[in-house]
Amino acid sequence: MAIFFQNIMAGLETGSLYALAALGLVLIFRTSDVINFAQGEMAMFSTFVAFTLFDGLGLSYPLAVIGALIFALLFGFIVERIFIRPASDASLVSKMIITLGLIMIIGGLASAIFGIDSYYFRQAISADSIDAAGVVVQPNALFIIAITLVIMAGLFYMINKTKVGIAIRATAQNEKTARLMGIPVFKVYSMSWIIATILGAIAGILMAPTTNVSTTMMAEVHLKSFIAAVLGGFGSFHGPVIGGLIIGILDNLVGMYISLTWKTVIVYGLLIVTLIVKPTGIFGKTHRKKV
Amino acid sequence: MNLSKKQILIYSGIILILAILPFLLGFGRSTMTMINTVVIYSIAALGFNILLGYAGQISLGHAAFMGLGAYVSAYITNTLPDMGGLEYILGILLAGIVPLAIGLILGLIALRLEGHYLAIATLGFGVTIQQVFKEWTGFTNGFSGMNAKAINLFGISLRSRESFYIFSLVILVLLSIFSYNLIRSKIGRGLIAMRDSEHAAQAMGISLFKYKLIAFSLSAFYAGIAGGLYIHLIRFVEPNQWGVELSLNLLAMVVIGGLASILGSVLGAAFITVIPEILKEIPLIGEIRNFSMILTGVALILVIMFIPHGLSRITYKIKPLVKKTRRNKKLEDQEVV
Repeated sequence: MAIFFQNIMAGLETGSLYALAALGLVLIFRTSDVINFAQGEMAMFSTFVAFTLFDGLGLSYPLAVIGALIFALLFGFIVERIFIRPASDASLVSKMIITLGLIMIIGGLASAIFGIDSYYFRQAISADSIDAAGVVVQPNALFIIAITLVIMAGLFYMINKTKVGIAIRATAQNEKTARLMGIPVFKVYSMSWIIATILGAIAGILMAPTTNVSTTMMAEVHLKSFIAAVLGGFGSFHGPVIGGLIIGILDNLVGMYISLTWKTVIVYGLLIVTLIVKPTGIFGKTHRKKV
Repeated sequence: MNLSKKQILIYSGIILILAILPFLLGFGRSTMTMINTVVIYSIAALGFNILLGYAGQISLGHAAFMGLGAYVSAYITNTLPDMGGLEYILGILLAGIVPLAIGLILGLIALRLEGHYLAIATLGFGVTIQQVFKEWTGFTNGFSGMNAKAINLFGISLRSRESFYIFSLVILVLLSIFSYNLIRSKIGRGLIAMRDSEHAAQAMGISLFKYKLIAFSLSAFYAGIAGGLYIHLIRFVEPNQWGVELSLNLLAMVVIGGLASILGSVLGAAFITVIPEILKEIPLIGEIRNFSMILTGVALILVIMFIPHGLSRITYKIKPLVKKTRRNKKLEDQEVV
């Protein structure tokens, strides 16, 4: 039983990172109608910035993380401004192609600047692990889960209760009407890209101790965050979070009890099953399009 | 075919010249390999173009279909006894048919939904199939890679790069003609109607799902054939080369070359394959790692933003400009007089 709970614990830890990344995806998709395939690469780049500040410039860990988050803020702003906004009238496919081009540019730049080696990056909290009735709990895992919960709570408060949140929800529902109501739609776009990039950067920095910092570090998180978004439903903000946690736990349980080598294949099977059974996701609502 | 006799003559002439050119110029082995890969990628891009150019769907898993074709053809030609040359034909055919069948199943699931679901489903498919290539050692030989034989068609060996070039060029031409005729058939008209307006097409009684499914599975077929040819050219495969990078490159070929254009697919394949080789030769830029990847990304975004029809139809954009300036000149001359 202890092994079971150990896996649940580990699942919650990685699951919250998937949830953070998935939330970024959904935030961008709901407001500006873009599926950001470059989310993983952008997060990887921000993580490299954090690592370079920490290891190369010798800043303390919190300072390096703050520096990377400020970088992510500018990064999200610039990407939206230069690549996405000029194409805001283009079709969904064109916008997707632009983010695919971004994968190549950002991935290529990262390996040109930072190299293709992988580096060890320290955990956020490096205290001794706690033994709770046979289940070994790392303080770092607790920290990751806690910080994710705090971020989620803050974000949901913002989306549901504040004026900014109303603007985001209104833009998500109908861009034209939102603009008629006097909502600065482009500011909302900008903001959702900034928030999503910061969420990705946080996920990347917290993921780094397990995957090491390298150009391919976010590949798995990226894919799992997509599966989480589909599983929870692209239509809601809380769906992807729960989807992420489910994927994280399932990932660990499958790895423990079924097969470690076929883990990716089985979790992908879950995506296919979701698409067959409930394509809108667990919390998604079917919405009809008018011509 | 609706081509006029003159056009048929021109096209056959161009193809003949392309076929003879390498023999006249006497390229080295590495250049010939590059030209061969251009032909093979052209085949894959041709299929991808049906999907992206006409059905307007993005796939991020076509590298997996290509890899699948490569492994299927290698496995069949390695296990079947020598049948003169029949086993190679069978291998390459199955290299197309197996991806076609898998594409059909995946499409049945993902194409019922809105556009971005196919992209997500194929992104996962690509990663998953690559994992299968790595782990299913009985079929793929895993990380150690798999060797394949050179094609030997009824006593004619295609071991030399030149003979393989003629063989793959013939397949490319056949598939191009197939594409051309497909676009001018009922299916093609349905696809074009769908590309111009999904809602209007639906109102005309075109089943979006059916036509998207046809486009997707056909593009998987093309990718599989390309993979099947690739393995007999290079004669070695390993799992890592069938990653999402290749899928992105295929997409870049189609977009940069020209959406919904046969010529565009070939131009795009040439662009993506040849540019990195040229860049390597330039002293300062050649040393920057992955410079060609960055450049491809930039080109992809620039093309989609400013010349959405790609390189193949860039003349249509330039011609009016030239004419305009000429006319302006004329007007200026007149004013002077």
